[in-house]
Amino acid sequence: MQEWSQCTATAESVVREYAHMVYRLAFAQVRSKSDADDIFQEVFLRYVRNDPSFASEEHRKAWLIRVTLNCARKYWASAWRRRTVPLDDCYSFSMPEESGLDEALRVLAPKYRAVVHLFYYEGYSTAEISKALDIRESTVRTQLTRARAQLSKILKGEN
Amino acid sequence: MLEKTYRSMNAQIEPGQELINDTIELMRQQSRHVKHKTRPMLRRPIVAAAMFVLCIVLATPVLAANVPAIYHLMYLVSPDVAQFFAPVQKAYEDNGIRMEVVSAYIHDSTAEIYVTLQDLTSDRIDETTDLFDSYSINRAFDSAATCQLVGYEKETKTATFLIRLTEWGNQDIAGSKLTFSIREFISRKTSLEGVAVGIDLGAVGEAEAVQTVDALGLSGKNIGSFAGDSGGHVMLVPGDTLYTPTEGLEVTAIGYVEGMLHIQLATSEKLTLDNHGYFYLVDQDGNQIQSDYSVSFAKGLDSDARVDYQEFVFDIAPDEIEKYSLRGSFWTSGLRTEGSWRVTFPLLVSE
Repeated sequence: MQEWSQCTATAESVVREYAHMVYRLAFAQVRSKSDADDIFQEVFLRYVRNDPSFASEEHRKAWLIRVTLNCARKYWASAWRRRTVPLDDCYSFSMPEESGLDEALRVLAPKYRAVVHLFYYEGYSTAEISKALDIRESTVRTQLTRARAQLSKILKGEN
Repeated sequence: MLEKTYRSMNAQIEPGQELINDTIELMRQQSRHVKHKTRPMLRRPIVAAAMFVLCIVLATPVLAANVPAIYHLMYLVSPDVAQFFAPVQKAYEDNGIRMEVVSAYIHDSTAEIYVTLQDLTSDRIDETTDLFDSYSINRAFDSAATCQLVGYEKETKTATFLIRLTEWGNQDIAGSKLTFSIREFISRKTSLEGVAVGIDLGAVGEAEAVQTVDALGLSGKNIGSFAGDSGGHVMLVPGDTLYTPTEGLEVTAIGYVEGMLHIQLATSEKLTLDNHGYFYLVDQDGNQIQSDYSVSFAKGLDSDARVDYQEFVFDIAPDEIEKYSLRGSFWTSGLRTEGSWRVTFPLLVSE
């Protein structure tokens, strides 16, 4: 029997390397600072608990993305139920269009937020998102199209 | 417009330093806690082990020889739940390779499935066997899946994988049919991790030639700050090989572009053998500095002569670079085996 450790890194270095990626993805899902904080800690505590090994940094990143999205799922319901989010739980963005987009993303269906974030922020192709989320590439394209349409409507005040 | 606003908005979202420090401290505490907890658990699985082994042996005498190894793996990977795994034992053979779905366990919204691959004719399966991106799981519910190599038994040339499926939509997955298939795998992998790269950073100057490329992928901790919003990215023009970390990977260019250090890694057989690697810097205190971002692009797309490039970009000023050394980690594979292995089975809840 062999201990598998193909791409080792200290837990601390993993936190420092992926802190922003995990936090931004978590916030993209729940759009609340306090929930993003909780998810952030849960993801890295799971990392210690599971002690996963990876063949590459790309695989490590993919694992962190999946776990972040899984952890975010249980926060969706409560986040959805809340009609308002305390002001200190939100970000004050520097430009009006950023604040407008933030508001629109709060209204956007949660299942679309992951593909939007991975596509527009992480720079993933639809094929890479398909692999990361383990859904069909056609589903990714459909979700992106619907997300764009929903965001456009919301930003125009049609929703 | 949407992409630009989305990026600039996200650049302002970041975890507080206090949150990062608290998380690291919690991880340290949990790491100590986990180490303390593992030993008392050794007694508990004795009954479970007996039940599990008995169950499998009675069900399939032919497989009895392999049961201890599988059980051992299951106990190592999932000690709390090893006894709940239900035997599946459905197999498919192609190209002298036998794939078997050994057992599965459903709890909450998660299914854990053990799958083995055994080479019946030669030595194509080893302790580095990797399903790469070649496996697929067809099921009737939305879920996230991971597949992890958890063990290898040299005597039987058998690699064992654990698949974890997490359902996303509050559906009951018990009773669902699931098809697990593999079309290829790679093995005989080699790795060089944290090795010095024989390039004198002090001698690196302005880039001799640059090009604008369409990125196939972007990654890195500061990608939002540095990578442009437009489709094109200014990267180095590939030149002669400057350094070969290992066969299949070559440094083909290095230089400064707009005050940032670019290091280009050319990869042959990236898609077929998953050859890849990355660079990082080490400062005089031994701290590792990861690249601020990296850009992937390719030449000869859709041709047999395709070469994949990944360019790593560091925000280190030219007059500071002598204080750093360049290191990297690199992975290559020696063998790709193709076939068609496919097993359909129901996800049953064990009694």
